[in-house]
Amino acid sequence: CHTSGMPTPNGKEYAQKIPREELTHLILKLLQAWKEPLSHFNQHIEHHQELPDDSLSKAKQISNMVHELKTGVEKSMGIISNSLNGMASSEAAGLSISNEANMMSDSDFIHCFRRDSNKVQSYLKILKCRIMPENSC
Amino acid sequence: MKQKLISSIQLILLLALTTVGLTGQSYPGKPKIIRCRSLEKETFSCWWKPGSDGGLPTNYTLFYSKDSEEKKYECPDYRTSGPNSCYFDKNHTNLWTTYNITVMATNEIGSNSSDPHSVDVTYIVQPDAPVNLSLETKPSASIMYLWAKWSPPPLADVSSNSHVYYYELRLTPEEKEEWETISVGAQTQYKVVRLHAGVKYVVQVRCMLDLGQWSEWSSERRIQIPNGQSPPEKPTITKCRSPEKETFTCWWKPGTDGGLPTNYTLLYSKEGEEQVYECPDYRSAGPNSCYFDKKHTSFWTIYNITVKATNEMGSNVSDPHYVDVTYIVQPDPPVNVTLELKKPINKKPYLVLTWSPPPLADVRSGWLTLEYELQLKPEEGEEWETIFVGQQTQYKMFSLNPGKKYIVQIHCKPDHHGSWSEWSSEKYIQIPTDFTVKDMVVWIVVGVLSSLICLIMSWTMVLKGYRMIAFILPPVPGPKIKGIDTHLLETGKSEELLSALGCHGFPPTSDCDEELLIEYLEVEDSEDQQLMPSHHNGHPSKNAKMTPKETDSDSGRGSCDSPSLLSEKCRESCPLPSTLQTQDVRDVQENKGGKTSWETQRIASEQKPLLLNSESTKSSTWPAAQLPNNQPPVFAYHSTVDAHKITLNITNANVAPVSVGNEEKHQSQYSVTETVHDDMEKQREMENFHSKTAQTTVHVRQNRLNDKSPFLNPKLMDYVEVQKVRQDEQPAVLLKHKENTGKTEKYTVPGTSKEYTKVSTVVDHNILVLMPDSRIQHSPVSQEPAKETSQNLQQGQAEKNTSSSLTAPSKCKRETGGSEYIDPSSFMPSFK
Repeated sequence: CHTSGMPTPNGKEYAQKIPREELTHLILKLLQAWKEPLSHFNQHIEHHQELPDDSLSKAKQISNMVHELKTGVEKSMGIISNSLNGMASSEAAGLSISNEANMMSDSDFIHCFRRDSNKVQSYLKILKCRIMPENSC
Repeated sequence: MKQKLISSIQLILLLALTTVGLTGQSYPGKPKIIRCRSLEKETFSCWWKPGSDGGLPTNYTLFYSKDSEEKKYECPDYRTSGPNSCYFDKNHTNLWTTYNITVMATNEIGSNSSDPHSVDVTYIVQPDAPVNLSLETKPSASIMYLWAKWSPPPLADVSSNSHVYYYELRLTPEEKEEWETISVGAQTQYKVVRLHAGVKYVVQVRCMLDLGQWSEWSSERRIQIPNGQSPPEKPTITKCRSPEKETFTCWWKPGTDGGLPTNYTLLYSKEGEEQVYECPDYRSAGPNSCYFDKKHTSFWTIYNITVKATNEMGSNVSDPHYVDVTYIVQPDPPVNVTLELKKPINKKPYLVLTWSPPPLADVRSGWLTLEYELQLKPEEGEEWETIFVGQQTQYKMFSLNPGKKYIVQIHCKPDHHGSWSEWSSEKYIQIPTDFTVKDMVVWIVVGVLSSLICLIMSWTMVLKGYRMIAFILPPVPGPKIKGIDTHLLETGKSEELLSALGCHGFPPTSDCDEELLIEYLEVEDSEDQQLMPSHHNGHPSKNAKMTPKETDSDSGRGSCDSPSLLSEKCRESCPLPSTLQTQDVRDVQENKGGKTSWETQRIASEQKPLLLNSESTKSSTWPAAQLPNNQPPVFAYHSTVDAHKITLNITNANVAPVSVGNEEKHQSQYSVTETVHDDMEKQREMENFHSKTAQTTVHVRQNRLNDKSPFLNPKLMDYVEVQKVRQDEQPAVLLKHKENTGKTEKYTVPGTSKEYTKVSTVVDHNILVLMPDSRIQHSPVSQEPAKETSQNLQQGQAEKNTSSSLTAPSKCKRETGGSEYIDPSSFMPSFK
């Protein structure tokens, strides 16, 4: 996976040890890293005749969701100002990463995306329960 | 002397015998050489067996000679080979030489020698048995072999080890005597094949020098051949699970162990790493498992896990199993399932089910989010109802049946990839019954009341059934036509009926009519007189008088039947659309007992208008709105002496299309006057009307109620054909005068007339009988001759209730069907 290089906590304890801001940053980095490959992937599979229409629309939907999630996280964390700096660097990193992503096969791509989205989900949940422990935590 | 000799000899013998007997001593028995043997061809030994020793110590000496030599030698060595033996050492042993051996036994008394025994050393060589027999089983390429090893017999003289022994091996399964003998050769070991696995064998060996005899068999050795042994089969990794997304365990299933104790080892490597590790913990999770604790668990990494099985024969490795711990989470079932019954005010009580997540799952930190699902079924039910609850840990149940017992179970799964946990233990719910006492009481009361009502109704029905039925559904009066048998009518045999009437065919012939008319007339006269005075009295009185007579012939007639009443009530203003509908006409017929509901008005030839009062029975279904008149046939027939015209008064005020002179339509030549007595003006009108026309025409227009207008038996007597005008056109009724059958004129009554009546005219009497005839639409309407216009309104003679269109409920509903009568009272005075 092209995001394998990113240092991400691999377990609960590690994730809990990381301070909040860093975790948020990590999440955003991950989301950012997928932005470009997803759009590229969408373009790529549009040419696939054998895929049913549901899949194509689903893929587009997922890309949108990732983007929305990223914006949402940014807003909710109130780090738009920080992101300006952060994103600049991450975008640069993202470009190089996305080149890698283009080389992957479709199944690998999906596998990596599945894993990373699970990561993001887990980190977000941890964040949520840290910030607002009342709601179903 | 002789005697002395004999006795001495006897004495001596006795002494000798005694001595022998006393002492038992004699010369020794003959020894016997039993065996001579050579162990290694270089020495040999002989053994003898002594005979009886004669009671005295005996010496044994062995003498031998070689071949044919005479020289006798004595045994060189009596000791080496044991007692009663002689050992010939190397120096004294010559092969290929025949030794002649005898053994002498000597004691004090005498000696004895054995038989000679010739021995050739060559042939007496017999080694000892081999020693140190060892057995071993060795598997070789999944076949078991038996390795036997032994040593040659030991020799005192080491130097003679150069001898070559030949060996033989035999074996048999234990407890069987099926020896299998195998020549081994000169080797001291042998590999036995073709062994049965799992069998215990007994093995022995023996040896032989190149000449001589086989040695004895060695002592037995036993060995157990083991079952088929092989390396173990490939194990399989069955599943890996993480209960709380922090640790995980893998289980495997071993294959067959090949008959030998087998060892299992689990090896794994992580994605992206080369190094292979071994399972950190084989025990915590039970046999054939490997537990990875927190330190060894990494997420979002793929593990490559294999299991290796090893035994003496070999080893085998399972297929690799790839695992990412994130996706193998299966939590424990929820715990602390509790129920609470809540009873809010003004609402139905409901149950609240609460539970807790499993203890290991860390839901608080958000690391693991669980979703729950319920499973519910009534105790006796078979199918579970599954309810997805989501992430909440409580559930409210509203729709449970009171009084029933339910079973509920919960399970959970991680909100993302993962699998459902096991179901929690069953929890039983008992719903309290909701049924209050009040409800019960209410239901009981309702039940009792309804049953009471039912009882009463059935009782009344039983007792007064007929009366009630009669009350509700009044019986329909049958037609009373003189000469008509009601039963015949009922049976519907019109022909018979008609024959009874004396009429044949339809329309009735004049003969018939005359007869009938005659009859009719007779009756009428008497009644007329009666009527006349009553008429003077006025309507009411007349009516009063009439009524009894009416009632005589009619059944079921009430006060409504009185013509006065009808006339009073059935004025123009009286809305009686139904009056035209003659239902009762028929009935009246019946009731009158055959009296025709005729009204014949005799029209005065003087053109006196005959006013025919026809009272319509309110509810009666006057066919074609004839002139409903309840009055008995008494009135029906009037001989008009003077009257030229008959004015028919139809009390059907409502019915616009009154056949005989619409009230509304004065254009009709007939004016309908309800009651003559009341409306003299009308009479005049009528007169005027009549006068207008040159011809006395009677336009009879009768409303036809409907097709169901009462049935008129055309064959009834007193029936005069009436030509009827079609409804479509200008309806008109042509009254056909009997006498003047030829003359037919059509009269058209202006206005729409839907109804028309038959008019039967009696020529003789100048009576026009108007008959409502529902069926005959185009019956010829005979025109009344100028002289006579008589209209008879004939009431529906049908005994049946024809048109039952009782539109206007009226008080004076006639049950018996109104017969349409022309009220003679109207013209009665004229008759005078």
